[in-house]
Amino acid sequence: MTHESLTHGPMTRGSMTPGLMTQRSLWIALLLVWSLGPMFWQLVSSFTTADALVNDQLSFWSRWTLNNYRDLLSTDPPFWRYLFNSSLVASLTTLLTLMLAIPAAYGMAKLPDRWKGSLRAAVVGAALFPYVLLFLALLELARTFALGNNLIAIAIPYSALSMPLALLLLTAAFEALPNDLEDAAKLEGLSLWQRLRWVLLPLIAPASASTAILVFLFAWNEYPVALTWLSRSDLLTLPVAMARIAGSSTYSVPYGTYAAATVLGAIPLLVLVLVFQRQIVSGLTNGAIKG
Amino acid sequence: MTMLLAAPALLLIAVVFGWPMLRYAWLSFHADSVLTGLEPVANGGANWLRLAADQRFWLDAGQTARFALISVSLELLLALAIALLLHQRWRGRGAVRALTLLPWALPTTMMALGWRWIFNTPYGPIEVLARSLGLNSLDLLSTPSITWLVTVFADVWKTTPFITLILLAGLQSIPDDLYSAFRLEGGTPLQALRRVTLPLLLPYILLSLLFRLAQAFGVFDLVQVLTGGGPAGSTESIALYAYLNGMRFLDFGYSATVMLAGFLLLTALILAGTLLLKSVGLLRPLDR
Repeated sequence: MTHESLTHGPMTRGSMTPGLMTQRSLWIALLLVWSLGPMFWQLVSSFTTADALVNDQLSFWSRWTLNNYRDLLSTDPPFWRYLFNSSLVASLTTLLTLMLAIPAAYGMAKLPDRWKGSLRAAVVGAALFPYVLLFLALLELARTFALGNNLIAIAIPYSALSMPLALLLLTAAFEALPNDLEDAAKLEGLSLWQRLRWVLLPLIAPASASTAILVFLFAWNEYPVALTWLSRSDLLTLPVAMARIAGSSTYSVPYGTYAAATVLGAIPLLVLVLVFQRQIVSGLTNGAIKG
Repeated sequence: MTMLLAAPALLLIAVVFGWPMLRYAWLSFHADSVLTGLEPVANGGANWLRLAADQRFWLDAGQTARFALISVSLELLLALAIALLLHQRWRGRGAVRALTLLPWALPTTMMALGWRWIFNTPYGPIEVLARSLGLNSLDLLSTPSITWLVTVFADVWKTTPFITLILLAGLQSIPDDLYSAFRLEGGTPLQALRRVTLPLLLPYILLSLLFRLAQAFGVFDLVQVLTGGGPAGSTESIALYAYLNGMRFLDFGYSATVMLAGFLLLTALILAGTLLLKSVGLLRPLDR
């Protein structure tokens, strides 16, 4: 342990006795069990035979199977189809959101202060809004413009719903850049587009990455809009497909298969969170502080 | 010119957030259901009169507020404890922080069915554990006085990591010197928590409170999949009731009324909360 670690934070001041350290390890273990325990249970269930799920008297060696995964991949449509749909929708949404939000954030950052204040208040209000209340009117729009059952079209409401957070994060990033930089680029004769593309964009890359991952997660997990916009079984996104399995038969949900679906559905997110942890953390905290 | 760059994004926000509210305001003064052939027909204030006398709506409103207040309070307390733990420096802290973020990143509907399995009677692990301890069947998902607590539990599990991160950012913004100074004055760690940490953390606490209250008030995914609003409607939320009115009873006029009323109630709740906090002087540190 470094000297720094002993003096940091309100609880670690002074020297750390072995007793206190054991206590802390205990809390850390408890935290991990709390966070991962339910997912671990899904993992165990996904490898358990249907018989063993309802009969705890079976011997240890006769409890395990890979059939749940086999069933999952042989349904119609196969499970990977939902993973593909969700990836497609989430990628399109991320792309569309960034394409609209980056120039918009630049524009907002350049606004005179008296405009900026009220505009920002409106954007914060939209970011707070429990968007599930919008679903009926959005469904009407989908019907009017024939946008239902279309994985490309659903990226439009998704972009709109994630736009407030994206704007807040990116506007803050543009505001944090020194003005001299852009002035110098102007003197060099660079056009607005060139300045954005070659000077500013590289500098806000970290904020863009944070925004992108948060938007991607939102679109991947979104439920009420997908539930009302998509009904063809081969076009469902993962959250709707999962809910549909749940609703298929209230009393005899095939839990082994379902647990396997949870595991396969969680793997992409596991990878995303572990790889982009830093971006997620800075995105959420900057969104909170600067918004 | 720069305003032009912002126009498409702002227009999109205006259409997707603003238009529905206008549309609901208009629809709430119309009958638009199977009875009218799914065509809007003006019906004066009939929807609003029906809402005022609709016991199910007011029951749901109470249940939604109860769910939001209790989950968010528990999340705050738990997140504060976890943030204090994660703020200390120890080996493996980064990995633990990433792993504890996972519940927040998973789709709600996915874990909702996971919970249905874990709290299942008689096969779920909780029930098996209770049985092995010689307890009676808990019936966690079919007892109206208990099931809403299961929804609270599931929400706390999922969204505590979000608040933890916000509070962690707050903790990192407090300079270490303050703690050394406080210790030199002879303050104990507990006093430091109360007199240094909490006051400086207040803006972060209030912010996550506001954001989470608004989101929890719109709870939909979780109850729709975990309980379907049951048993006996004991976990039905305003959003779920509005959804059922629109999609199951095909009564769009009333569904719009319920959603608009839900929005107005949430606004009132937040205003009342702000006034309450102001009256006890908690908001003073925020005035700059």
